[in-house]
Amino acid sequence: MSRHVALAAPVAVALALAAYPVVASGYEVRATLQIFMWIVLAGSWNLISGLTGYVSFGHVAFFGAGAYAGAILISKAGWPWLAAALVGGGAAVLLALVIGYPCLRLKGPYFAIAMLGLNEVLRALVSYFEGLTGGGNGLSLPTLDATVPIYYVMGLTAVAVTVLTYLIITSRFGLRLMTIREDEVAAEAMGIDTARHKLYAFLLSAAGPGIAGALTARDQGYIEPISVFPLATTITMIVMVLFGGKGTVWGPVLGAVVLFVAQEVVWARYPYVHPLLFGALIVAVVLLMPRGVLGILQVRYRLPRTI
Amino acid sequence: MATPVLDIDRLRKRFGGVTAVDGVSLRLEAGRIYGLIGPNGSGKTTLFNCITGVERRDEGRVVFGGERVDGLRPWEIAQKGIGRTFQVIRVFPELSALENLLVVTRDRLAAARERADRLLRFVKLDGLRDEYAGNLSYGQQKLLEFVRMLMRDPTLILLDEPAAGVNRTLLNDLLEAVRQLRDRGKTILLVEHDMKVVMGLCETVFVLDHGEKIAEGAPGVIQTDERVIEAYFGR
Amino acid sequence: MNVVVTPAMLGQVVISGILSGALYAMVALGLALIFGVMRIINVAHGPLLMLGAYATYFLSTAVSMAMLFVVGVLLERTLVFRVVDAPELSSLLLTFGVSIALVNLAQLLFTSDLRSVEYLTGAWVVGPFALSKSRVVAFVFAGALTGLAFLFLGRTKLGKAIRATSQSREVAMVCGIDVQRIHLVTFGLAAALAAAGGALIAVIVAIQPEMGQIWTFKSFLVIVLGGAGNYPGALLGGILLGLIEQVASLFLTTQLSEVVAYVLLVAILLVRPTGLLGGRQT
Repeated sequence: MSRHVALAAPVAVALALAAYPVVASGYEVRATLQIFMWIVLAGSWNLISGLTGYVSFGHVAFFGAGAYAGAILISKAGWPWLAAALVGGGAAVLLALVIGYPCLRLKGPYFAIAMLGLNEVLRALVSYFEGLTGGGNGLSLPTLDATVPIYYVMGLTAVAVTVLTYLIITSRFGLRLMTIREDEVAAEAMGIDTARHKLYAFLLSAAGPGIAGALTARDQGYIEPISVFPLATTITMIVMVLFGGKGTVWGPVLGAVVLFVAQEVVWARYPYVHPLLFGALIVAVVLLMPRGVLGILQVRYRLPRTI
Repeated sequence: MATPVLDIDRLRKRFGGVTAVDGVSLRLEAGRIYGLIGPNGSGKTTLFNCITGVERRDEGRVVFGGERVDGLRPWEIAQKGIGRTFQVIRVFPELSALENLLVVTRDRLAAARERADRLLRFVKLDGLRDEYAGNLSYGQQKLLEFVRMLMRDPTLILLDEPAAGVNRTLLNDLLEAVRQLRDRGKTILLVEHDMKVVMGLCETVFVLDHGEKIAEGAPGVIQTDERVIEAYFGR
Repeated sequence: MNVVVTPAMLGQVVISGILSGALYAMVALGLALIFGVMRIINVAHGPLLMLGAYATYFLSTAVSMAMLFVVGVLLERTLVFRVVDAPELSSLLLTFGVSIALVNLAQLLFTSDLRSVEYLTGAWVVGPFALSKSRVVAFVFAGALTGLAFLFLGRTKLGKAIRATSQSREVAMVCGIDVQRIHLVTFGLAAALAAAGGALIAVIVAIQPEMGQIWTFKSFLVIVLGGAGNYPGALLGGILLGLIEQVASLFLTTQLSEVVAYVLLVAILLVRPTGLLGGRQT
């Protein structure tokens, strides 16, 4: 495939998406906005877990942290939502630093346990600092219809995450991250400071969800603990990456799009058994295709890693 | 006397109730090939692990080129100039052969590529540079791990059973490479069970048994040492 | 936040801690067994407990335990066995998938309406201390079941085989132990213990489909406190957790005591990755 065609396709898609809000209905714009959000989440999770193999099981914590940081700034301090979103990303990165520094030293299952607990703890903290966060009652933001601008910003964030993934995977930094996944002991014996690298990847993987959280909070106009810290969100982003292809550039995008659409369809038709089917889907992906669509293709057809 | 490349002073490492390394001391001078032998379970790999920082020693010191390195993280020790290979091959399977070499150095990409290409040619793996390391044969992976270790141009080289599972031709190539490294001033310490290799290659041999150093000397002398014979064959 | 702590309060807190601790220990034991024997983190542990609570509500404790034993065996036989040797992400996701399926199933079958068991209300007053009746009963039962479990592990052939497998699967196989069967039994046993936990908890809190989630996390805490693969450690870990929670609640709100527990968890994992009382490295 000549380079021009390879570049033309994404550019065409990007242009189409940019023009979309003009022709689409409010619902359709919202849905696409959500797809962008999932691309940000899945793509970011891929940065830490797909590349280094350290499975972050509480990644939605960063989404929630960004959501609350942004919401508080908007509602209590009157900040414009764009700036609040960036600070939301920063808050998430800070959280990642605080949590990552100790927890990344833990071995596989213990890291998973520690990250699992993070959710619960943040939810508890939100409840505790009721004055600031509104506790269990949630936080309302001043009404504002900014769905279209948020659509664009979320879309740009999704692009940024994907581009970041590409840059990392094609760099030696990315290779070093992968050695952590392949054989951490050997990587250390070869002079690679695995602790620092894991932390960098972890920090990078928190920024996107933080921004997405703040943007979502602004768009919904209201947040409460359950809506921004559900474990199901972490699981969904994981399954999206697994389905699409862990450790690839486009895998998370593919997974986000396919699974979001599938989820909407299923949810519309079978609202009561939707979690049941979702659970079954997770089981199926784990058992039948752990490498994901692109992962399988990559191995079968010797495709480059930048796929 | 010049500073020894490696100076281990009364190293002790315990695992629960077992003392794997029991007060071992040894010195390595530059530009020599040393052997480390001993029956299974005598503490050889543990000693390696303590030198390279994979295990934390309980007592004793490890001094490399005049600098204490015990207590440092493995990557810090590697960066100071100690390279090692492993008993069980540990290449990065989903990276290509070339990437396996490139990933361990932070030199400018162009210089690193050149060096990597040269090393791959040296072990005749240049045709496979883009192949996933996991797809290479056992012998090829062994060679890859060897040159990967050389990418950082280490001063002290630790080889853990380099001859294991390797055919004669390949082995001779490897041994020749080791001799060349020695001629260039590097220090090599190898753990090996194949006595022919040890006797033919090493200038000084250390013998461990139950975590203790029971003998040290030229290969010929070691072979006839009573304690060594006892350790291997019992009374 | 100045709280005057009297010896009576402290004593009360210690007693409450031990009472709830035994329950934690019993619930965690099942998770510890699965983790120890199969190296799997069973995220579905909470939902199994929840199913046990419902089964007890509609039928009885004994039947509930038997039923859940069968459920556990079935789960292992059909799904879990496939991820025993896979990277832990697979087993985490698989058991999570099962857990949300189970919770949804419960919602479909039983609706989200709260149910409660009016078994024993009130408390016995002993000196300056108030002992909640339901908690004392739970303590006694949990203690008895845990004791039985340990007798099983220590004295019976099957129990010893389970312990052997959790120390080293390879060696167990070489010794002629049918590891597949051990996995089946372990999972079933863990589910049965979870069911018993559900039955006892049902006496104390309301039954609803989501009730199990927090127990999965608390069971992890217990395992970390007690050490992976260290079964008696799970017992002490449970009591320890109970004590810590109760003591923390003297000075902090319940929510913050959860935070305290979590920080403790991370701190312990950092300092002693094998658990407070020493377990095995994974």
